[in-house]
Amino acid sequence: MTQRDAAVTPRESATGAIYDLGYQSYDGPRLGRRAAFSTLFWASLRAVFGLGRSGRSKIVPWGLTAIMLAPAAVAGAIAAIAPGAPSPFSYDNYLWELQPILALFLAAQAPELVSSDQRNRVLSLYFSHALARSDYALAKLGAMAAALLIVGLAPMLVLLLATVLASPDLLGALGDQAGNVVEIIGSPLIYALALAALGMAIASFTPRRAYATGAIIALFLVTAAVGGILTEAGRGRISQVAPLINPFVLLDGTRDWLVGGTIARSPVTRADVPLPVFGILAAVITLVAAAAVLWRYRRIAA
Amino acid sequence: MALISTNALTKRYGSSVVALDALTLDVEAGIIGLVGANGAGKSTLLKILLGLLKPTSGSATVMEMDVATQGPEIRQYVGYLPEHDCLPPDVSATDFVSHMGRMAGLPAAAARERTAEVLRHVGLYEERYRAIGGYSTGMKQRVKLAQAIVHDPKLLLLDEPTNGLDPAGRDEMLDLVKRTGTEFGIATVVASHLLGEIERVCTFLLAIDNGKLLQSAPIASFVERTGTLGVEVEEGADALAERLVAAGLTARADGRTVLVDCPDERPYDIVRDVIDDLGLALTRLEQRRHRLEDLFRAEGRTDDAA
Repeated sequence: MTQRDAAVTPRESATGAIYDLGYQSYDGPRLGRRAAFSTLFWASLRAVFGLGRSGRSKIVPWGLTAIMLAPAAVAGAIAAIAPGAPSPFSYDNYLWELQPILALFLAAQAPELVSSDQRNRVLSLYFSHALARSDYALAKLGAMAAALLIVGLAPMLVLLLATVLASPDLLGALGDQAGNVVEIIGSPLIYALALAALGMAIASFTPRRAYATGAIIALFLVTAAVGGILTEAGRGRISQVAPLINPFVLLDGTRDWLVGGTIARSPVTRADVPLPVFGILAAVITLVAAAAVLWRYRRIAA
Repeated sequence: MALISTNALTKRYGSSVVALDALTLDVEAGIIGLVGANGAGKSTLLKILLGLLKPTSGSATVMEMDVATQGPEIRQYVGYLPEHDCLPPDVSATDFVSHMGRMAGLPAAAARERTAEVLRHVGLYEERYRAIGGYSTGMKQRVKLAQAIVHDPKLLLLDEPTNGLDPAGRDEMLDLVKRTGTEFGIATVVASHLLGEIERVCTFLLAIDNGKLLQSAPIASFVERTGTLGVEVEEGADALAERLVAAGLTARADGRTVLVDCPDERPYDIVRDVIDDLGLALTRLEQRRHRLEDLFRAEGRTDDAA
C-alpha cells in the first residue's frame, strides 16, 4: 500500500517531481511460445556474429566472414581490370574451395551458441519459460544454419556483382545471371543446413566450448584424411566409395546433383557412385544430426 | 482456486532414490514456505510444477492447469529462481532480464520497460549495464529474482533464494521476497532448508521430509499456538520444578529454565507463589512460542522410538 501512496504523492526536488511508481503489474499481451521461439532465433543469430557482445567476440566470426569474401572480391577486381581472364572461382566451386573456412566458422561459432547456456546452466531458465525444449533446439539449429547461409551466400553475391559490373551491358548481364539463381542460393543452402546440423550435434553434447570446437575440426580433418587415403590406396570398390566418407564431398555431390556443375578437382568425380546417392546420404546425415540435437535437449537435465 | 495441487505425486531417480513419495497436497495463494532438509524433495517438487521434470507417477496442477499437458501455458505465468547459478557472465543484467522477459512472451518494448522497473525494484541501479560476470553473489541473486518477476508472474517459485548470501544480504533478500509477495500479491513458494527464513516471510508452511508431506498449515497455527510457559531462574530450577509438579502442574527443568504446561491462566499464580515461597531470583517469565524446529524434532523422536 505504501507503494501506491508514494505513487500519488510525488516528492518535489530541484529537478522536478520524482514519481516512485514501484512495481507495476503487467496487463499487456503475452505472445507465447512462437514469439519466444523467434526471439531466441534472432538473438542467437546475432550472437553467432557477436552483435551486442564485446568486441572480442566479433573478431572470429567477422574475420572468417572477411576471409570467405576476400577471394571473391579479388576475383571480381581481376575480372574488372583484365576482362576475359579466366577466373579460378565459379558459383559451383567457391564453397568447395573455401570449405576449411566454413568448417572453422562452424567449429568456432556452433559452441558459442549452445555451450555457454549449458555451462552457466541458463537452460533451466529457458525451459521454465513458454519455450518447449524442442523449440530451443530448433531455434539454435536454425540460427546456426542461417549464419552459415549468410556466410556462404555473401561471396556468391560478390561474384554475381563483379560479373555484372564488369560487363558493358549491365541489364543484359543481370538477365544472363538470372539463370544462375538456383546455383547462387542452392549451394550455400545445402552447405548451411547440413553443416549446421553436424556442428550443433557435436556442440550440444558438451558444455565445454574448447572440446566442441576441437571435435568439430577433428571430424572434418579425420573424414577428409581417411576418405583421401582410402581413395588413393584402397582397392576396387573401396577406393570408389571412399570419398563418401568426407561430409564435404557428400555436400559437393549433392550440390552437383541438385543444381549442377561438376568440379574437376572434387573427389566426387573419383567416386563411382551415382549423384543421387550423395544427396540421399547427405540428407540422412543432416536429419540424423538434427535428431541428435533434439534428442539431446529432450534428455538434458535442467 | 487451488494454487497448487498434487495427487500421489511420485518421482524416482533410477530405481533406488525416491525424491517424492506419493505426495498429495493442496495450497491456496499466499507466501508458502516449502521447508525440508537438503534432499527432502523441495527442488524436485518445484521442477515438476514447472514441467522441467516429469513425475514418475501421480499428477499435479498449477493454477488449475495440468503440468503434464499445459506446461507452456503454466510457464507463461510462473517465475522461477533456481537454486544454482543460472546467469551468463558476458551479458549485462539489463540485456539478460529483458531477453528472459521476451522468452516469457512479453513484446520487446514491454520487456525493456519492465526490465528497468524490476531491476530498480530489486535494487540494481548503475551496475545493471555491466556484464553479470563481475557481480557479487548478492547482486547475482537479485538478477535471478528480477528475471523471475520481469513478466509479472501469478506464481513465483523461489528455490533457496538466500543461497550463498551473507547475513545482511539474506535479510535484504527476504525483505524483497516478502514485499514482492505481499505488496504486489504474487503468490510465492519459497523453498528453504532454513526454518528461520520461512518463519519470517511466509504465511503458510509445507514441510516435507523424504518426499513425504510432514505438515501443511498456516504458519500462525503453530508459531503462535503456545502451551508452554518458560520460567527462567538464577538457580534452584530443579527444586522449582519439583514444587510445581507437587502443586499438580506438568513441569520439567531444562537447565535454568522450567517449562510449565499452561493450558489456562491457573499456573501463573501458582508459579508466582512458589517462586516467592522458595525465595528464587526470577530472571524471565515468557510464553513459549512453538518453533518450526519442534516439528522436525518431534518427527525425529518418533522415528527414534520406532
